[in-house]
Amino acid sequence: MQSASEELAAIIVERLARERLLSKPEARKLLRKLAEGSLTADDWRAALQRAISANPPA
Amino acid sequence: MSDLKRLTIAGFRGAIKPFSLRFTAEKSFTVIYGENASGKSTICDALELLGRAKVGSLDNRGLGATTRYWPSIGRSLSDISVSLESLNGECLATIARTGDVFISPEPLRPRVEVFRRNQILSLIETTPAARYAAISRFVDVSGVEASEGTLRELIRDLKKQRDGAAARLNENEITIRQFWETDGSPAPDPFTWAAKEQERGTQDYEKEIEALRALHSAYTRLQDLPSRLRSAQQNATAAKSAAEQATAVVHDHLKDVQQDAGAVLGLLQAVQLYLTKHPNPAACPVCESAEKSRGLADRVTERVKSFASLQSAQAAVASSTQALERAEQQLQLIREVARQEVAKFETCRHSPALPSDLPLPAATIPNSASGLTSWLSGAAELQAEWKRAEATRHDRRQFLRTLKQSLETWQVNRGALDDLDQLLPRMEQALKIVEEERRRFTDGMLERIAGEVSRLYAAVHPGEGLDYVRLELDPKKRASLEIGANFAGQRTRPQGYFSESHLDTLGICVFLALAALDDPQNTIVVLDDVLSSVDDTHADRILKVIRSESARFRHCILTTHQNSWKDRLNAATDHFVELGKWSLTAGVS
Repeated sequence: MQSASEELAAIIVERLARERLLSKPEARKLLRKLAEGSLTADDWRAALQRAISANPPA
Repeated sequence: MSDLKRLTIAGFRGAIKPFSLRFTAEKSFTVIYGENASGKSTICDALELLGRAKVGSLDNRGLGATTRYWPSIGRSLSDISVSLESLNGECLATIARTGDVFISPEPLRPRVEVFRRNQILSLIETTPAARYAAISRFVDVSGVEASEGTLRELIRDLKKQRDGAAARLNENEITIRQFWETDGSPAPDPFTWAAKEQERGTQDYEKEIEALRALHSAYTRLQDLPSRLRSAQQNATAAKSAAEQATAVVHDHLKDVQQDAGAVLGLLQAVQLYLTKHPNPAACPVCESAEKSRGLADRVTERVKSFASLQSAQAAVASSTQALERAEQQLQLIREVARQEVAKFETCRHSPALPSDLPLPAATIPNSASGLTSWLSGAAELQAEWKRAEATRHDRRQFLRTLKQSLETWQVNRGALDDLDQLLPRMEQALKIVEEERRRFTDGMLERIAGEVSRLYAAVHPGEGLDYVRLELDPKKRASLEIGANFAGQRTRPQGYFSESHLDTLGICVFLALAALDDPQNTIVVLDDVLSSVDDTHADRILKVIRSESARFRHCILTTHQNSWKDRLNAATDHFVELGKWSLTAGVS
């Protein structure tokens, strides 16, 4: 069974990907660290920046 | 329907002798009745050992490590054996001497939730933190909260960075504007001008500075030449005069000696050398006469000495002649150097890299030391012009370098600011999503639990004005849970108004609601003597609720010491087990 953190992390990355703040592969990569609480500032920044590069704002 | 067949306990707690509890296949609700200290808790502990590798009934009694209390009297940890047979097979728990619990096979380990009377306190009556701990595994999202905190802090840091970048950008813009104004505010604007200046670069100034330095250096080297030429000329003249004087002295000496004295001296010196090697010749080595051969060496030495002053004069001639040659060579060398330096200066003077408006000597350089001196003095004042021109270009080059640096810094800061302006709103949006989803998830889970608790509680206490249980996390405190309820239409804390019996049933409802959240079909629920405070009116209702809920679980076991419960059971659905009196010889029976 998933822990509460894992369950919530899955909901969050799915929404971040849906709102195009993260790419889907990036969201999958972040999932485990997000649930464990080991996501660093660099991880967040790099993931969001890569999403900007792939999907620049209009 | 229950898939459980038999629980067997040996060497554990009250089971002094092996004890078996047989389940009935068609009944998933078992009620175990026994007087106090009959072994009910041993059965509950055994199931907990199988499912959770612990014995919770011994916790919080100030016993420290409790494993030493696990074996029956006279038994050791390695004598303990607890097994559960089911339709899937048999699962066995054994314990090593170290207290480590081994479950075999692991896939058959049952999920077990045990609720004891003392746990009601942790769900209902104790502190908000203890209540939170009881439900934390369903709502504990501390991992996500930590990642959320990291993102929040990152946003805070980046906002500070953005403020810093904006301030630096402003400073850069002021600096560039100042440069622009210094240069006369050329159209159209400071940044277009600065970009053009940056493109132009400092190469032209570098070349001009190089040409000016070369010109000045060539001129400086010319300045030494007149004195060096004069000095060399004077040396050559003096050497010539000395050589002439030395020659005149030799001629004077020669007048005083016989003709061909020089040749005679040479001959005598040769004989002297010969006699050094042959000191007593039998005859003269020149005329071969034996007459006067005796003492010949002494006589030759005497005659050579008489020519000493002539020799000295001849040596002076040789020396002065050599000095004259050196002085003339030196003079030639300096003249050659002068020619080269003049040529270099002329080359520098005609360099196309020199500024077109630079003042230069009008006349070419004369081919004499005195002419050069006069030419140099005529051009002396031009040096100051050349230095000024070089300094101006140094200043201009430095100006452009500083401008370039400022423009580059401005561009870097502009880029950083643009990046942050793109990134920060997305980060804030991401944080908002994380916060929203976390709250929604936690609130949803609490609502789900509270809804279940309310449903169960209303079934036990219908129409009593005690309903609508709420679970609330205190937003100001971490890991803090409040329980609220409606009493007579008023929101209140149940601990303040509920009787002990009502609190007990509320605790059971909370426990059942939590147990149902996590894979209930595979969970064995054990309620260990939790209904002692329930009065007759509510006993039937709570029993009905537990019986009804047991259908959701793999199996439900209720223990009680109240004899009256036997009469409330439904023989068709309830599996009833009555324990005998425990004894030191028979144990649980």
